[in-house]
Amino acid sequence: MRLAHVSWRRSAALALLLALLIPLLAACGGSAPATTEQPTAAPAAATTAPEPTAAPAAATTAPEPTAAAEPTAAAPAAEPIGGLKEDNGLAVASVTACDAEYAGQKYAGLIKEIAAVDKSTVRFTMCSPDPAFLAKVAFSSFGIQPAAHIQETGGGGDLLNKPIGTGPYAVDSWTKGDNVTFKRNDNYWGEKAKAATLVFRWSTEAAQRLLELQSGTVDGIDNVAPDDFAKVKGDSSLQLIERPALNVMYVGMNNTYKPFDNEKVRQAIAMGIDRERIVKNFYPAGSEVAKYFTPCAIPNGCTGDEWYKFDPAAAKKMLADAGFPNGFDTELAYRDVVRGYLPQPNQVAEDIQAQLKQNLNINIKINKMESGAFLAAASAGQLQGLFMLGWGADYPDQTNFLDYHFGTGASKSFGDKFDDLTAALKQAAALAGDDKRKPVYEQANNLIKKHIPMVPVAHGGSAVAFKADVKGAHTSPLGNEIFAQMDPGGRDTFVWMQNAEPISMYCGDETDGESLRACNMVTEGLYAYEKGGTKSVPALATACDPNADLTVWTCKLRDGVKFSDGTPLTANDVVTTYYVQWDAASPLHKGNTGAFDYFSGLWGGFMNQKPAK
Amino acid sequence: MATTTTAPAASAPLTQMRAPESLWRQAIRAFFRQRSAVIGLTIIVLLVLVALLAPLLAPYNPEQVLIGIEDVQKRAAPCIHLLGCAADQPQHIMGTDGNNRDEWSRIIYGARVSLYVGFLTVGFAIILGVLLGALAGYVGGWVDNLIMRVLDVLLAFPALLLAIAIVSVLGPGLINAMLAIAIVSIPAYARVMRASVLAVKQEEYVAAARVVGASPLAILLQHVMPNAISPLIVQGTLGIGTAILETAALSFLGLGAQPPTPEWGSMLSAERNQVFSAPHLVFFPGLAIMVNVLGFNLLGDGLRDALDPRLRR
Repeated sequence: MRLAHVSWRRSAALALLLALLIPLLAACGGSAPATTEQPTAAPAAATTAPEPTAAPAAATTAPEPTAAAEPTAAAPAAEPIGGLKEDNGLAVASVTACDAEYAGQKYAGLIKEIAAVDKSTVRFTMCSPDPAFLAKVAFSSFGIQPAAHIQETGGGGDLLNKPIGTGPYAVDSWTKGDNVTFKRNDNYWGEKAKAATLVFRWSTEAAQRLLELQSGTVDGIDNVAPDDFAKVKGDSSLQLIERPALNVMYVGMNNTYKPFDNEKVRQAIAMGIDRERIVKNFYPAGSEVAKYFTPCAIPNGCTGDEWYKFDPAAAKKMLADAGFPNGFDTELAYRDVVRGYLPQPNQVAEDIQAQLKQNLNINIKINKMESGAFLAAASAGQLQGLFMLGWGADYPDQTNFLDYHFGTGASKSFGDKFDDLTAALKQAAALAGDDKRKPVYEQANNLIKKHIPMVPVAHGGSAVAFKADVKGAHTSPLGNEIFAQMDPGGRDTFVWMQNAEPISMYCGDETDGESLRACNMVTEGLYAYEKGGTKSVPALATACDPNADLTVWTCKLRDGVKFSDGTPLTANDVVTTYYVQWDAASPLHKGNTGAFDYFSGLWGGFMNQKPAK
Repeated sequence: MATTTTAPAASAPLTQMRAPESLWRQAIRAFFRQRSAVIGLTIIVLLVLVALLAPLLAPYNPEQVLIGIEDVQKRAAPCIHLLGCAADQPQHIMGTDGNNRDEWSRIIYGARVSLYVGFLTVGFAIILGVLLGALAGYVGGWVDNLIMRVLDVLLAFPALLLAIAIVSVLGPGLINAMLAIAIVSIPAYARVMRASVLAVKQEEYVAAARVVGASPLAILLQHVMPNAISPLIVQGTLGIGTAILETAALSFLGLGAQPPTPEWGSMLSAERNQVFSAPHLVFFPGLAIMVNVLGFNLLGDGLRDALDPRLRR
């Protein structure tokens, strides 16, 4: 009796255990291939890339990769090709010649000399005509700081946290991870800031931003979620302001990896994605399907032939012709970060996944990456599948869109450059006047359509929201809202909540929009972009006048401008600010990461730059 | 046949003796006496049925995007014809999600993923845990020390953090997430097993078996396992709930199930920013996770009360 009892118990126990084991054994076969497959995702996990480059600008600007490839770089001791001199107390930064060579590499930059002519005049001498000069000097990376401050901080350290500028606000304190507090700069030369204190806060979650605005703890928020537009509009205590779509979201492909090395495959994907469906379903009002890479509001953005129409049948045939009648497997990489050009990254990614599966039988594995790692992998050309990325205008010029992505200095994100396209872009950039440039940009746009380095999807509208009692509320297509001119209903503190914390506040070496916006509160350039628009208007300079062939620009500084620490602005401050970014060999050329992407991107390259390995 | 069996039954009253009730039957009776345990069991049985019958219950393919197929808005509120939703509108019991897919179908298929994850991770953890625990307990000495100290180190990490670390090494994906959670939960089972082995090892009947010449494996299977099985079942049932919750957490962080797999945690994560504009998309997956985990926890508690003789009233 006892024996029988024990065996019954045992068999029951074994049965129960087996019930747990069988599904496991069944799954073992499945689990093995899945784990071996994973190594491809390894770069995603390696999030060691420096965070700083959160904007698409990231490193698209490695100065001269082509020259770097030359083996002659077994260089002799590099003789500096330029530097900073002081002459009668006036600073002059210059290169010896526009074609000077440093460590076997030709100087790629556009600037020949920046000289303080007198205490309040700065002269920029260019190597070739620069029609976009005013738009460039207005950019946030070139905010002027006192030469003494730059030298005291050694080009890094406090320069990153406590910039000193001439702007309407000065940094009061920065509690990392929580907020940045600015106080009104009473030395400001222009109209003084309306609110005595300005606070920047941040949250990556759109729902939290809106909740804070509704509960009254903040006065304004960035990037309202598209589904909340109607709700904010319907709330009488809030105001919604739509931001014009001066950006582009694209699906990139790298032509050095199979099967994207085949132009037909790229074209099949271009025709196999219903972009209208994406914009209609996942973008807010005010967005539009991208017919070209550059939005139409940019001069010459929309010339040439329109992008391919959605045609799944033709796409399928094209893919079959390319040798993939049954589709293929690839991945779609992106970062889960909301930007104006991509308000709902996850939904758009899943829709592209579903569309390509349905239309072309392409199986896509979604690879959501950490922001910094994603940008680093993209610009290093390591993304082997499709990737979703975008670009917001920094200044309203075609060069800001096309040259950054497809020019000679562009990153490797799309793989090898297309020679006909780079030649056209180089030609266009040196031409002055939109009319003269038009036929060349027409050609460039057609070449982009022909080669399909990426599929432009949308120009995304976005919106900011403020409390209804905020006077002077506005937004800007460039993302540089001027909070000094907003009056938070008579309160003395204005609280702004954006997507993310500024990375540093030395914007010479930042590319991220969240950082640039913070810098704009404190530092100003020679020019600035008009409130709510893209036109360059005088700021620290009363005017910058060119000579006849646009190679020399002379800037007259405004009288009586003082920095927030009380010292007066001089021409030397301007020269030093530019110089430390320009001279790669300067001990002050330090910044946050030392990349100074915008300087090399906008001005062609650095002086005394060691060739890349 | 029937007559032969009724005969001894009829003679039973004569002896006035009842055969002693088996421990297992006692346990089952104790289990069914607890209302919460029965509720837990009911939930689990229902969930298993839903998972098994998903293709019949779900009106749509959970991964099918309905753009262009139906005239329905993304993130549409639930539309139930019986409750007054216009008959010309397609019925979506739980509305549609941000990609225009039927939420109800996704929730149903999510049950499959969830249960699959729960049983598999715990099964894997039990196998490894039992092996390690048995080895440690039976062999003893430095082997015991080595195994248990390694497991102590595993236990010292917060489970979810360790799982995140493992997944970031292996790469995101459902299988890897399950593997990570299984690894994290091994120590619990190993400890239970080792404790049982140590308790039984000194018993005289084990010594007797050894003298008779039974192999260690036979002793383990015949004498130790029966003693260890009930705590393992309890631990396992509770562990399934935890495993499901942790997988949902990993998926919420984007490390678990990959789109378009309908997994509750990732569904919750995808719509977290629509918590005000489309609350149903956060509510239903959240509710599903809660009910599922609650079911396993109630069941596990009930089993513990039923199987542990010390807790028996």
